[in-house]
Amino acid sequence: MTISGLGPHGERAAPPERVSLLPDDRTAARDASWRVAVVLHTLDSDWAKQQLAGMVGIFGDCGAAVIDVVDCAFSPERQVAELDRLIAQRPDAILSLPVANEQVAAAHARVSAAGIKLVLLDNAPTGLLPGKHYTALVSADNFGLGKIAAAGLEPHLPQGAEVGVLGFAADFFATNEREIAFIKWFQANRADVRVHVARFGRIDEAAKLGERLLADHPALAGLFVVWDTPALAVAARLREAGRSLPMATVDLGEGVAVDLAKGGAVRCIAAQLPYQQGIAAAQTVILSLLARPVPAWIALPGLRVTRDNVVESFQTVWRQPAPKEVIRVLGLAR
Amino acid sequence: MPTQTLTQAESLRPRGKGRPRTVETAAPSLVELLNLVRSETATTRQELERHSDLGRAVVADRLTMLGELGLVDESELGTATGGRAPRLVRFAARRAAILVATLDQTAIGVGVADLSGTLLTEHHEAADLTAPPEQLTERLAALFRWSLERHAAPQGVWGISLSVPGAVQGGAEGAFLTSTPPIMPAWEGFPMVETLTQGFGVPVWIRSSVETMTMGELHAGAGLGQHTMLFIKVGRRIGAGIVCDGQLFRGAQGAAGLIGSLPVTLGGQTGSLDHLAGSDMIQREGMAAASDGRSAVLADILRRGGEITAIEVSQAAQVGDPVASAILSTSGHLIGQVVATLANALNPDLIVLSGSLVQTNDILLAAVREAVYGASHPLVTRDLRIIRSQMGSSAGLVGAARVASEALFAPAFLKEWVMQGRPLAHPAFAEYLGQLARAQTPVPQPAPPVPPTMRPGKEPQA
Repeated sequence: MTISGLGPHGERAAPPERVSLLPDDRTAARDASWRVAVVLHTLDSDWAKQQLAGMVGIFGDCGAAVIDVVDCAFSPERQVAELDRLIAQRPDAILSLPVANEQVAAAHARVSAAGIKLVLLDNAPTGLLPGKHYTALVSADNFGLGKIAAAGLEPHLPQGAEVGVLGFAADFFATNEREIAFIKWFQANRADVRVHVARFGRIDEAAKLGERLLADHPALAGLFVVWDTPALAVAARLREAGRSLPMATVDLGEGVAVDLAKGGAVRCIAAQLPYQQGIAAAQTVILSLLARPVPAWIALPGLRVTRDNVVESFQTVWRQPAPKEVIRVLGLAR
Repeated sequence: MPTQTLTQAESLRPRGKGRPRTVETAAPSLVELLNLVRSETATTRQELERHSDLGRAVVADRLTMLGELGLVDESELGTATGGRAPRLVRFAARRAAILVATLDQTAIGVGVADLSGTLLTEHHEAADLTAPPEQLTERLAALFRWSLERHAAPQGVWGISLSVPGAVQGGAEGAFLTSTPPIMPAWEGFPMVETLTQGFGVPVWIRSSVETMTMGELHAGAGLGQHTMLFIKVGRRIGAGIVCDGQLFRGAQGAAGLIGSLPVTLGGQTGSLDHLAGSDMIQREGMAAASDGRSAVLADILRRGGEITAIEVSQAAQVGDPVASAILSTSGHLIGQVVATLANALNPDLIVLSGSLVQTNDILLAAVREAVYGASHPLVTRDLRIIRSQMGSSAGLVGAARVASEALFAPAFLKEWVMQGRPLAHPAFAEYLGQLARAQTPVPQPAPPVPPTMRPGKEPQA
């Protein structure tokens, strides 16, 4: 799998194998007994839970105590307050997913200024530099995810079609990359397709915004929503209104997996590997605490998931069996 | 002074006959005060009086005028030191935006910066610089428009600044480009500057990537506060950015620091530094080592159908492949010999190495250090630091923003527009824009921007 995007500062991606731990590293880490904290945008999503599971397992293997797991509820103000609270607790490292750009940049800079190792997930606020303000960024190849989604939606669009993009209003590296890549793919490969963009600020706005986009552009023949939770909300709202559009999204949550298996609105999912990303992030923390050099950007490739490979993809992504309903709908339970 | 009088500066009020209006004579003092505020040399009225030698009444009047023009903001209070807290005088950096881009052999980067050159957002993506220039310009314009949707400034855009691979001939201080300089043979004859000027209605500046990266490193990276610095970019070409007395030294033609064309000798062969130490050499030697099996790591990449570029060689060296390490070490020693000559001539505080090769392994940096320390006078290396840049391609974007910001507010340029409050009213620029419109330059139309049906933060309607 190749990585098609570039890092937040134009870095070339390093594969997660670059941050593998050797037995000696684990032994040295266990002797050090570090304390680490995790700051996430939410703890409610499957993505966040799996990411956390990947991290916590590695920290356990390395004898590092996870002293706090913070749910920022997508709020920049809350993230700033929580980071300042954690700085006072003096953990050895903080793993954080910055929920915004400029609003949370200074608080993250304060973490590293306090001598605490900072590893970022998915987003690097503009102006923060690797090696100076943070150790490394670990993310999916979000540009690649946008391309997978575009290529997966394209076969469902007739010549001259109009397609909608529901992006995220926050200035966020991961969702920006997905949106840019999706639009660029159509400009390069299906110039006949016209793209209309709208952006939601909160997840609960997405369904209304999708409806509005469709009202403004009644000829829409497809829709890309930058992640699965809002995508499901949009699909449900359109279904209630008696409409159905072929959709593509990012992240293989349980809901969209069922929709995909049933042959619902979602036709293609560009899946991240949150469990593996959690592992890579925790290993990066351990290596940086051991003063080993780590790459500035570690990126994990995306998976193209369609109805044909949803079961095995679910197992790859979540490290657990696909939901019973997916198995039943696909006729695999005999 | 009553608040009423502050709403209209003395200088903007009509005057009697025979006496020049202050608007006609105020420009020099406005330029001086604005640049003192912009550079944060002075942050209160008292400091402005001290640094400018202007009287209290004149400073007050000019600040009111700058406030009315939207260029300074006095709404914030400072810390009291005994008496009343002073009002802070701040540069209104967010009044307008600067669009910036870096174009290099394999990637383009775009960003939006404020008027002080602070980057607000950036995006990098792979690109082929040998693609037709119309296509690249169209992509650049599409990404600029996408970025502006998210970072719109009250006064829109005031300038575009580009960073390109080769040297760009220098112009007068602050002067914007009125034609496209020769940049790359493949772009010859394409009016890139004219296209962007017409498309966005703003002045355009272009500098070499080494110059913009040096500016970026100097103002936002390891060079912050340094007076003498050498910035070495290692890629297909090897170039040096020279900082003396805290200023980028461009030379007579904007060609200072082209060290890649200097001759060096390796194993009896003499060639340019670019040829014998640049990334093409590293790729060539790595490919040979992979093909004949001397490098197990590189041979394995080849066997799995992978491509060998200088980055793969660099990564192989980092994981301990001896042949790849030797290739990087050879490159580093050659670069180090040339850099040592420059270091002995300039006696810098700091040498910063940059480029993806330097970022992906430690061997090249170590070899450069060894060569510089070995070939320099002890006094030159006593406190010398040789480090790698942490800014990646952001250095180019930040530096490009500084180029535009410095040019917009260069005294000679600023005095022509400061009274109008916006550089787009600069007489020479207005004239140039008019010329372009009259000439109706055949400009390739960029693809229409993707109009967001709803702006961020706007509540959707049912």
